[in-house]
Amino acid sequence: MRFHRAVRPVEVVPALAALLAGVLALGSALGPGFVLRYDMVFVPGPPLTWPEGGFPRAVPSDQVVALLAHVVPAAVLQKAILLGIFLLAGTGAAALISRERLEPIPRDGLRPGHGSEPSNAPAAPTGSAGEDLQTSGQAADTALLVARVAAAVFYVWNAYLAQRLLLGQWALLLGYAGLPWAVRAAMLGGWRRLIPALLPAAAGGFQAMLVTALTVLPVAAVAARGQPRVLVRSLATLAVLSLPWAVPALLSDAVTDPRGVEAFAARADGPFGTAGSLLALGGIWNAEADVPGQSAWWLATARLVVGVFAVIAFARLRETVPYRAGLLVAATAGLVIALTGAYVPGVLKELITWWPGFGPLRDGQLYIAPLALVQAVGFGVLSRRTAAPVSPTTVSPSRRLLGGGQGREEGPGAAGRGFGARVLVVVRAVGLVVSRRVVSPSVVLPSRRRLGGGRGRGEPGAAGRGVGVLLPGVVAVCLPVLVLPSFAWGAVGRLAAVRYPADWQRVRAIVNGDPRPGALLSLPWSAQRAFVWNGGRVVLDPATKGFARRVVWNDGLAVGLENGRLLRIAGEDPLGRRVGAALDAESSLRAALRGVGIRYVLIAGENENTFRSRLDGAVLVYQGGELVLLRL
Amino acid sequence: MLRVLAALLVGVVLAIGASVSVVNVVAPSPEPPNKPLYNYGNR
Repeated sequence: MRFHRAVRPVEVVPALAALLAGVLALGSALGPGFVLRYDMVFVPGPPLTWPEGGFPRAVPSDQVVALLAHVVPAAVLQKAILLGIFLLAGTGAAALISRERLEPIPRDGLRPGHGSEPSNAPAAPTGSAGEDLQTSGQAADTALLVARVAAAVFYVWNAYLAQRLLLGQWALLLGYAGLPWAVRAAMLGGWRRLIPALLPAAAGGFQAMLVTALTVLPVAAVAARGQPRVLVRSLATLAVLSLPWAVPALLSDAVTDPRGVEAFAARADGPFGTAGSLLALGGIWNAEADVPGQSAWWLATARLVVGVFAVIAFARLRETVPYRAGLLVAATAGLVIALTGAYVPGVLKELITWWPGFGPLRDGQLYIAPLALVQAVGFGVLSRRTAAPVSPTTVSPSRRLLGGGQGREEGPGAAGRGFGARVLVVVRAVGLVVSRRVVSPSVVLPSRRRLGGGRGRGEPGAAGRGVGVLLPGVVAVCLPVLVLPSFAWGAVGRLAAVRYPADWQRVRAIVNGDPRPGALLSLPWSAQRAFVWNGGRVVLDPATKGFARRVVWNDGLAVGLENGRLLRIAGEDPLGRRVGAALDAESSLRAALRGVGIRYVLIAGENENTFRSRLDGAVLVYQGGELVLLRL
Repeated sequence: MLRVLAALLVGVVLAIGASVSVVNVVAPSPEPPNKPLYNYGNR
């Protein structure tokens, strides 16, 4: 029995590349302190609480963080989670690309050579043919390595991940990171694969699980042809792992404002409209979450071109690639959801009015995560071609133009596959004019292996082959970074670690040390803050995460629209609504707040007098430069 | 050789574009706002 196996570059290098990309992307966010931006709020020593009122958006992610923070300091944990997202996502995307996966594999997941090898598999090479096979095999390994690294880099360095990170949605990104692993598990089947693969999404909560379900179910449905048990297993796992947020969501009396569709629908973040933005994996509703400089026309064009070609490359994978059809269905469905909110918002509004459970669909752009995975794998395949050694195999230009050939990815009927194939034919024609001999490695290598073919016209020697493989490979791997360069270093400072002022710790110690019941009201009456000590970055009120008791805050949202109008979306928490009404009223605030169970009032910022003057009789418990704490 | 040159060309062009973009972005930023209230976002 072997307990150790050799570490292979095709496994290690993508992980290193993903990690390096993570370090480069996070940059100053990896310094001491906490990264606080929009929905990303971490506090030191977070208490383990169960949310009351409103939709359980941070369940179970907050509880997972609170538990883990007993073992690891919360600041370190946050960095580990953020870097872990990059590592998990990159290695997962790479894992979907293997020589076996791009070739037909049996449904039980056995690799070729384990009793299921195709009958036309290459025979053991001998003599000079064998040497040539070895050479081409090494080149193929290099090409495969390039493909895996390229897929990894693409999947962790794109507008989707960047924008969601800048919106602070790390919990969603847990699901995004686990998505390729979930696809792999759904494809191969088995509880032992499925449960661990879905755990990141389960920890992330509702958004992560919805995106995962959208992806996993079509993949499992295709993989389960003739075996309903496979699909049922995926459904059951998704359902069970969704219980932590689904049960409180169903039990809560939260309401969803249909006008949120108008605020959270996908939007154009570049010169190609909403659809073009989505195809380039951008289009998030919030302009503040755009990567700085991303809308420059040359970068937007490059991202769109890369994205479209990657999709075409993925769609042209052989139909027997087990996850191909399912992932395409998921990507299409996600795109349709995003486009629906943008172009026919009335449909979503009607659905949400009919049942608030459709509320999560209003932020449609988040459902293009499977499209990101499609593009990552497609980009890897393209890079594999780019980095493959030049072929001596002669496929006549006319035949290539017609989509003919003998490769795995281009069957005899490729020319008739529709618009995508025709586009590729045109692009190939351009490629032929430029290079005269660009052939997919997947066309060439198998035949070379079988035949042990010699060097052909114009084939470079070993040194030339090295440069010819490596340089295009390096360019391909770097391309995702080059088309979104300002994602680097925390999107040029948009993400950075800061320390909480001492006031926060002192106030938390007072409130969390008080055994008497009663909620804490956080003022000013708004969900978002922009503290100077946080560099003016907008963040969800940290008070919502820092206290071991019910915190009442304004979970209504204000979103500025394109026409300059401010759209106010009603809050979901009924208690929050009652408190909001009391704040608006002219009557005594103290009596009204005590009447709804408020014990503490925390006031942040410089306009505390606005509220203190209305809280006569309240006891001043703490006053610092940042915070004022009153007890009713 | 043509492929290497093409890769070089693409790499150089994209690197120049990326550099221009980063230089544009890393311009001096105004003082951060000192507002206790803020929108969730702007479209």
